[in-house]
Amino acid sequence: MSLEIIDVIISGLITGSVYALMAMGLTLIYGVTKAFNFAYGSFYTMGGYIAWLLLVPIAIAGGYFSVFLLAVPLLFGIGYLLEKFLVAPLRKYDDWEVKVMMVTLGLSLFLDNGYMAVFGGRMKSLPTFVSGQIEIGGAVIMTQDLVIFILAVGGMLCFRWILRNTRTGLAVEAVAQNPAGAQIVGIRKEVIFASTFAISTIMVGLGGILLSQKYFVAPVGGGDIMIKSWVVTAFGGMGSVQGSLYAAFILGMLEAMVGWIFGMDYVMISIFVVLLTTLAVRPKGLMGRG
Amino acid sequence: MSWKRMAAIMAVFYAVVGILPLFVGDMRFVMHILIMCLIWAVVASCWDVIMGFAGIFSFGQVAFFVAGAYCSAMLAYHLHIPPVWTILIAGCFTGVLGVLVGLPCLKLAGPYVALVTFGVHMTLTPLLRGKIGIAMGSGGATGLLTIPPIQLFGWTFSSEHLVPFFYLTFAVTIICSAIILIIIKSFWGTAFLALKDSEEFATSLGVNAFKYKLMVFAITSFITGVIGAFYGHYVGMLSTRMLNLDLFCTLMVMLVVGGIGQFPGAILGAFITVTVNELLAPLGMYRPLIMGALVAALVLLLPEGVIGLIRSIGSMWRQNDPQTIPSS
Repeated sequence: MSLEIIDVIISGLITGSVYALMAMGLTLIYGVTKAFNFAYGSFYTMGGYIAWLLLVPIAIAGGYFSVFLLAVPLLFGIGYLLEKFLVAPLRKYDDWEVKVMMVTLGLSLFLDNGYMAVFGGRMKSLPTFVSGQIEIGGAVIMTQDLVIFILAVGGMLCFRWILRNTRTGLAVEAVAQNPAGAQIVGIRKEVIFASTFAISTIMVGLGGILLSQKYFVAPVGGGDIMIKSWVVTAFGGMGSVQGSLYAAFILGMLEAMVGWIFGMDYVMISIFVVLLTTLAVRPKGLMGRG
Repeated sequence: MSWKRMAAIMAVFYAVVGILPLFVGDMRFVMHILIMCLIWAVVASCWDVIMGFAGIFSFGQVAFFVAGAYCSAMLAYHLHIPPVWTILIAGCFTGVLGVLVGLPCLKLAGPYVALVTFGVHMTLTPLLRGKIGIAMGSGGATGLLTIPPIQLFGWTFSSEHLVPFFYLTFAVTIICSAIILIIIKSFWGTAFLALKDSEEFATSLGVNAFKYKLMVFAITSFITGVIGAFYGHYVGMLSTRMLNLDLFCTLMVMLVVGGIGQFPGAILGAFITVTVNELLAPLGMYRPLIMGALVAALVLLLPEGVIGLIRSIGSMWRQNDPQTIPSS
């Protein structure tokens, strides 16, 4: 019994870490561009399919190392171009927020059914990073889970470092605080918007690669993920990276616990109830600004 | 647009639709499309009121529709209450549901409202499919298959005879459209316009945004629930597949085609979209693919919808005409 609880906690921590990575991407887009990306879940699936394509039919040399090496620039490019051609032209309208939501929702429908048409409805499974398990004091941890955890947290720290320490990261921060002011000091707003979108695409795509080996790649699997990272983002406070970190782990735990005690049917409902209660008490989320 | 003009557009449009069955009454396929057009026109205009006029980013419209349909169907199927009453009960149920959802979320900022309402949509699927739903009689994953048809004054309105059912739907649609028109052009509509122009100023003049938003949310939820129940009794079967994203997107296409916040536009958009959607049916699995691409393309290329397009063509034509002197 007690060992089972440890298993549940570990599974909660691992899902939480990947949610944190993905929610960070979402909160970054919202914080910087104030746009809402509904196609987020489809980028998650895209990450999974890119990994599958490279590993299974192409059987690329170097395994996951090359996958990450190729997927990061690829996802960046896709994200950048999508922002440039789909989202950027809408900024001139008054009600561009609704329009962006609609465009990205359409994009998500297009991509999900595109995957279905190209790859078929059958789920694809990815080979694992490493097999085997570690035993610590009676609790069994899959090595693969451990690697996922380390990579997700490592990825998060890496993005955080980029945002805090590089010129691009500082420019992103400046645009988030005051777009007009940033433009006055010579930061090109459009480039930053597109880059932010692209970086968030990388984050969720990496999340897709990491989680797809535990679960599977399915054409419509992204919707659930999008809702969850969205909930994490709102729960933690939109635009607050720190808040979404805490929220991701809380919700990862909640999901594992509720799934273990009551069954998976109740996971979505419980998450929703927790979110509603939080928003009723704190309308801007746990650590939302203002 | 003045309300007279809106009413005139709607009257002409509905008059044309109303006499169509005289010509195509014996073509079941066309009649079915027409009935669907009417049903979706109501849902789309409700959404337009919420999104375009009240400025609430609600994504729960399909959820209210399905909730209304299920509520009425379950009452009629299990408790054998006449459908006329269950439809009204379903409307009240979704109205209350709208208030319950609206109370916590209408005070939140835009994206949060979208999240909470979309959350309602997403929780409905596991709720109806899971054990709770089966216990309530939702039929689980298979859904409800034999929903009794509507009976009124000894007449049975079902999908057997499409022409009478068309006129029943037609009447309901006209009533709903009239209610929506009244909402838009009443004090509420003006209040929303004021809130959109300058929230601070409108609030300082005593316009209570929350109160009006909640009321409009409740009324549109009521209408959506009623029309959803109507749909359930018409089609005769319901399943949670209706909650898939493609129906949601189709509804969104209607709004985009018609133009957000350009009221009679949503009705036009619904007619165009439903017809195109039915014509695309032979494409099977590529239909949602095309739908998705259409949404994106239309938002980018046709930002004001069909109504906006007509208006810009109209003004272009007026400019080219040297006789007319532009007024004002």
